[in-house]
Amino acid sequence: MDTLFSIATVEAGIRLGLPVALAALGAIINERSGVLNLGLEGMMLSGALGGYIVNDATGSPWIGLLAGLLVGASTGGVFAGLVVTFRTSQVVTGIAFTIVAIAATTYLFQLRWDIGELPPRVERLGMWPLVALTLVCVAAVWFLFRRTTLGLTISAVGESPESADALGYNVVLIRWMATIAGGALAGLGGAVLVNGPLGLFIEEVTAGRGWVALALVVFAGWRPVPAVAGAFLFGLCDAAQLRLQGTATEVPYEVFLALPYVVTLIALVVRARRSHTPAALGDPYVRGAA
Amino acid sequence: MRSVSRRFGETVALDGVDFEARPGEIHALLGANGAGKTTLMRILAGLDRPDAGTVEVFGRRIESFEPGPIRALGVALVQQHFTLVPTLTASENLVLARPEGALLPPGRTAGVRVQKLVEKFGLEVRDGVPASQLSVGERQRLEILRALDADAKILLLDEPTAVLTDVEAERLLGVARALADQGRALVVITHRLAEVEACDRVTVLREGIEAISDGSVDGYTRADLASAMIGTDTSGTITARTTRRTQAAPVCLRVRDVSLGRVSSLTLDVGEGEIVGIAGVDGNGQSELEAALSGRSAAESGEVSISGEPIAPGDPRSRRGQGLAYIPSDRYSWGLIGPMDLADNLELGRVLPIRPNRPARHKAARPSLDHWDVRTAGPHARTSSLSGGNAQKLVLARELDEHPSAVLACYPTRGLDPEAADTVATRLVAAAEAGCAVLWIGAELDELLAVSDRIEVLYDGTLFGPYLPPFDRAAIGLAMAGDAADRARTATGGEADPP
Amino acid sequence: MTSSDTRQPASGTTPSPKSTWPPKLDGWLDAVSRRATAEGILSSILVPVVSALAALVVGGVLIAIDGVNPLSVYQAILQGVFTKSRGFSYTATVATPLVLIGVGYALAYRARVFTIGGEGQYLVGAVAGTAVVTAGGVGDLPRVVLIVMGLGAAMVAGALWGGLAGVLANRFGASIVISTLMLSFIGDSLLQWAVRDGIRDPESYNANSRPITAAALPSFFGQKTHLGFLFALVLVPIAWWLIRRHRWGFRIDALGHNPGTLDANEFSSARVTLSVLVVAGGLAGLAGMVETTGVNIRLGQEASVGYGWDAIIVALIGRLHPLGVLIAGLGMAGLTIGFESAQRQFELPSSLVSLITAFVIIFVVWGDAIAARWKEAR
Repeated sequence: MDTLFSIATVEAGIRLGLPVALAALGAIINERSGVLNLGLEGMMLSGALGGYIVNDATGSPWIGLLAGLLVGASTGGVFAGLVVTFRTSQVVTGIAFTIVAIAATTYLFQLRWDIGELPPRVERLGMWPLVALTLVCVAAVWFLFRRTTLGLTISAVGESPESADALGYNVVLIRWMATIAGGALAGLGGAVLVNGPLGLFIEEVTAGRGWVALALVVFAGWRPVPAVAGAFLFGLCDAAQLRLQGTATEVPYEVFLALPYVVTLIALVVRARRSHTPAALGDPYVRGAA
Repeated sequence: MRSVSRRFGETVALDGVDFEARPGEIHALLGANGAGKTTLMRILAGLDRPDAGTVEVFGRRIESFEPGPIRALGVALVQQHFTLVPTLTASENLVLARPEGALLPPGRTAGVRVQKLVEKFGLEVRDGVPASQLSVGERQRLEILRALDADAKILLLDEPTAVLTDVEAERLLGVARALADQGRALVVITHRLAEVEACDRVTVLREGIEAISDGSVDGYTRADLASAMIGTDTSGTITARTTRRTQAAPVCLRVRDVSLGRVSSLTLDVGEGEIVGIAGVDGNGQSELEAALSGRSAAESGEVSISGEPIAPGDPRSRRGQGLAYIPSDRYSWGLIGPMDLADNLELGRVLPIRPNRPARHKAARPSLDHWDVRTAGPHARTSSLSGGNAQKLVLARELDEHPSAVLACYPTRGLDPEAADTVATRLVAAAEAGCAVLWIGAELDELLAVSDRIEVLYDGTLFGPYLPPFDRAAIGLAMAGDAADRARTATGGEADPP
Repeated sequence: MTSSDTRQPASGTTPSPKSTWPPKLDGWLDAVSRRATAEGILSSILVPVVSALAALVVGGVLIAIDGVNPLSVYQAILQGVFTKSRGFSYTATVATPLVLIGVGYALAYRARVFTIGGEGQYLVGAVAGTAVVTAGGVGDLPRVVLIVMGLGAAMVAGALWGGLAGVLANRFGASIVISTLMLSFIGDSLLQWAVRDGIRDPESYNANSRPITAAALPSFFGQKTHLGFLFALVLVPIAWWLIRRHRWGFRIDALGHNPGTLDANEFSSARVTLSVLVVAGGLAGLAGMVETTGVNIRLGQEASVGYGWDAIIVALIGRLHPLGVLIAGLGMAGLTIGFESAQRQFELPSSLVSLITAFVIIFVVWGDAIAARWKEAR
């Protein structure tokens, strides 16, 4: 058990927590504007593939990260088109979106690397640049909602779109922007996963981390700093599980496999009543329909 | 505004209305519920667009009806349902409405801005707490401050006094006068005659047409305005009962020490065949009372019973089994299921585990629909296709068909046209005369005066009364404004009630 | 004008049983209850059919980009299902779990209870059922008894797994989407542990359970189709009848359309939510055991093949109607089976089928929105 709490485990935990933290930050921006983004997992996955392919082609993980960001942003744009402009059900569209993204990334990946063929390992970034990047993003999101008019406007749109509309703000535009920004951060999170700790892409590489990020957002009460803290908790469990796998211990390693999800579930239960959900979350906005 | 028209589906909300507001004047826009006042103001604020007609602001014709540009011209609408963001504080709401650059001002600067406005206009507002925690009066003052902060030159107030106490309302009209004296144009929407007297000009709307167009307030008596507002019949829309029950009947619906939210320890009895009216300004605990009595929410304490049998909260079958019918205040949220057909809606709350097939269900529904005069395409029609009156009759059909021993009727005539309102009232009176205990929570005092055997006034979660026929209208009105509560406080000589 | 009536912020003071997060969802279900009007036919049949065709066209374009003639691929798919002797039998086998789980989802989604936890319930059901039929001392029981015990245990386990999400939602307001998802991941961990340690066959080198041949489902229709397909076929009319004629089905639809009215007049919406989650979970659990005992010989680490996720698509394309679910389930299974042979022939990526089915669902969602706009415009 003593290897479990070594510095290496903590480092691995941080590494594995970073992608989740970024995706959670993206979800916070989305959801504060009133758009429930159940497509987050799909956006993360798309960003991961984009980041991987571009890194593989250019040899630069930084360009890979940028690619992940852009791919994520464009998936965010597609999602916004469906749920904000066409006003499709946010729940159903989100789930469908993730299903499409899983299928599409797998397809594109298989198209390029046949089954059995070993996909190349790509150049990886060290931990500290990624930690710095994530900290910058946390600070930016925190600053956005604490200190800028734009952040205040996004929150107003998520709380009371009719009020924002009556004040002359363009609800649809703001939700579009927020959804694209959320997608960009989720895509970046996916790219960080692939260009950071893993250095390679496999099918469904995100393995539900996008969903975990969504749950963390509820747990964190839509605030960036607690969400990131939750992401590192998740990362630690993940790292512990990987470390224990294969070693015979009294506690089965599957406990750690399940632990992040159990913790998330408990957090969901503890926090659900206390945290303030953006009042218009999940509601498409039509003027005069209130 | 010139010959403005607006229709919603089949209903004509505005039919060629002219309207003008001039600087330095308060223009009263008077009309009954549904006369088109709010629609007119929403068009002027850019929240709705006219089907025909033109709108000019300071000589400039409005082409695109969008709230942003019209606000920039200096038009501000203070709506009936407030448009403050409930989670934001007073200063944050002001910043949202008129940002000072891309960054938010530090808390202190924003606070100073609120303070300056408060001092300048004498409208007291607390800063530092979310708007949802402010009182209704405070929220309204904040809305007005926000409009003034944006340097509004035309200020539209939609029923500003509806939620205020008399004292607050008087103060508000004083502020309105001061603002007009500073050269602003004010429009006050109201259906209270007393308030019109504080204005300069008056326009009366009736069913989308001006009954009085831009007249001087001095030129009309209250009776003139009233008849313009409700047509020739000034007696109200509900037929008054000719006889009232005088002797005490055995108690049927018994409410004992019920507390929930604003409602504190409320006790009330309704006898068989008696109609008890609960009067009061909205927001004094009506919604909590409704939730507790209907069993939708569990009361924090106390008990509701019918003929001695308590009603279990959260179990509508128990309510129905004990014979309590419930006509909810919002029939679309708690009474009907819009996308389902009429027969399905009639079937809600019935006990059969296995339902007849659809033709049989429709056949079974027909007599009931006929008896209650629900005018529709048939039992297969979607309930959402019904007009308000027919939808309410459908609720009555379901709730009263089983001969309940008591009825909880919450705003049963809300949103109905006069004919439908009268029909609904008549049916409820008939139910009472057949021996049913009726508890009628209402907003329109005239309506309650017309039907009740006894009236109680709900003010700040407490009942005042009883008031018995012949009703003293003035006394009831004073109690609704909190006068009875004030006197009760003085009589006990203490500050027992927190403000 | 009635819409401008002031709504009381009642929720601030009245503790309303807000059971799900997110609290409000838009009108996805309206199409479902629409009667057989022209409009109803348009949105309930035309939209999925057109969406399926559009997805096949998109798939065709992708195949063409890959340098293969899409028409010959689709021809091979059809041949794979209809002319090969085992094609239909395999299709029925694959459709079985999709329909069993899909009907459960359909019932839940009609109530706007957005569970996505079928996969976890499926796995938990498989584990529980396998544990019962491979436990010591049951080996001598007759096969019928073993089968019933196994399927029963699986249903109970799946129902508990689903019901847990319902309890968390009703008591604590936890989002059903997220809690069912977390429970799916936990269910997968449970499976991993069970086959590695808990119910592992000590004599086997691989991580899997003891053989469950003693409880194997009888098969018919050639060698692959098993009794489970019959369950699916029987379930469809039962679910249809429940929706049309039983009070529970009525309450499910009422919950989906207007929980407030259901609560005030008919039945506690929290209990309907719980019941529908229990039933959907039980069906998914049943599917897990049916698949294990009908198709496999042991329960292994690779038991999670994604039927629980695919069934979401099946339920949605099937318009939340049991018959629609059956058709969509058979269609998806047919596409999968047919594609397997076509794939070998033309060397196509195996994920193309999931991509095509995923496109169907996106097109359905989009088509619904367009249909709603048309309706609005008129």
